[in-house]
Amino acid sequence: MKTTILEKDGNITAILEGRLDTATAPETEKAMKPIYDSEGKDIILDCAGLEYISSAGLRIFLCILQKAQGKGQEVYIKNMTDNVRAVFAMTGFSNIFKFK
Amino acid sequence: MGTNVTLDAHSEELMQQYRQLRPTLEKLSEEAYNLMQDALHEQGIYVTAIEHRVKTEKSLAGKLELKGAKYKSIDNITDLVGLRIITFYNDDVDKVAVLVQRIFDVDWKESVDKRKAHELNSFGYNSLHYICRLKTGSPRFEVQMRTALQHVWSTIEHDTGYKGDVKIPSEYRRQFNRLAGMMELIDDEFSRLRLLLTDYRRQTLALVKSGQLDDVQLSRDSYRNYLELKPFDRLNRRIASVNQAEIFPVSLMSYLRVLESLGMETLGDVQRFIDENSEEAYQLALAQLAITDLDILASSTALQYLCLVHVLKKGGGRDDLKILYDTINGESEANTMLADLMYQQAATLPFMHKE
Repeated sequence: MKTTILEKDGNITAILEGRLDTATAPETEKAMKPIYDSEGKDIILDCAGLEYISSAGLRIFLCILQKAQGKGQEVYIKNMTDNVRAVFAMTGFSNIFKFK
Repeated sequence: MGTNVTLDAHSEELMQQYRQLRPTLEKLSEEAYNLMQDALHEQGIYVTAIEHRVKTEKSLAGKLELKGAKYKSIDNITDLVGLRIITFYNDDVDKVAVLVQRIFDVDWKESVDKRKAHELNSFGYNSLHYICRLKTGSPRFEVQMRTALQHVWSTIEHDTGYKGDVKIPSEYRRQFNRLAGMMELIDDEFSRLRLLLTDYRRQTLALVKSGQLDDVQLSRDSYRNYLELKPFDRLNRRIASVNQAEIFPVSLMSYLRVLESLGMETLGDVQRFIDENSEEAYQLALAQLAITDLDILASSTALQYLCLVHVLKKGGGRDDLKILYDTINGESEANTMLADLMYQQAATLPFMHKE
């Protein structure tokens, strides 16, 4: 699992690649620190390279959303693969997030 | 003094007293404002605005120039500090007045209810003015209470120079008064409407609780009341038990438009939709989730599966599921994939093969 953080055009983006599951969630959580610490910027989670997401990954996404909402930031999910989209749909999470 | 007014010796003396008192007045203004704000918050009364100010030197000079002789000392001027509470409804002016009586000492001799001061056939400035002191002791200050519409009228009336140098002809004054009458009528209508809506909500809640759901039209209010009965909890818990999942609470209000798009008109329709589709919704969720280790579900999961099953049982196909997903998630081509996936999985379930 690889997480790259980029700041561009007033947004902060996390580019996620690989499988975000129980095994890789702790390292991803750590890598998300700049996202958690960010203020006044929209957050984009770029999932083009995300092959799979488990509940552990969904919890990270939720945590990002809750912290961002507390600081008045928007969170957008971008380029979701079919696998990941199906997980969001099955768990009822599709209409919690905004998609780009 | 930096103003264009000429004051006599007595008024100059009053002005000097005012300057000395100014720091006390600033403190009083702040304290009265904080007390009022806390009391409103505690009572859950929402107001449009609370304003507070200390009278400016310029404004006081204007007042003293006109009627300085009327005041023996600065203590006789009761509006050096002013607090103004602007409410949404005229009923709330009375509620705020009760609060003011509770948190401050009201000087009844000086206080005026200008709402009652009008002749039967006149309209105009409508506001409740109390002259108060802090309960701990303080110079007197004025508390004005009025509705947003009264405030708009009074601000425009003031701004157009009604109280200025040029005397406004009576035909224009009449127009102001006509507008004041109209504002009074609108204020009353807003209050009446609020009362009607409160009654409607109460009746709806009673019908929901008594189970007479066919009598309740599906609306934002009725649906919100219905959700208080937690009608989807049982199915959510059943679905969550598949993977011992945690249920993450989310608002279900966005599903109102989904239910409406499925043709539901009353809460009775929604209740039947739950009763008639719950078993199949569970079967569909089971087929999807049992082969995963997903142990967190949004509390909208049950409702989403109920909607899917409802469409499928009515003979809907992939295109109808796509339309449903578009309504739930917002229109997107990606919903085609979800519709295909869902249709494919549902096709293996017994309810899809019944005549």
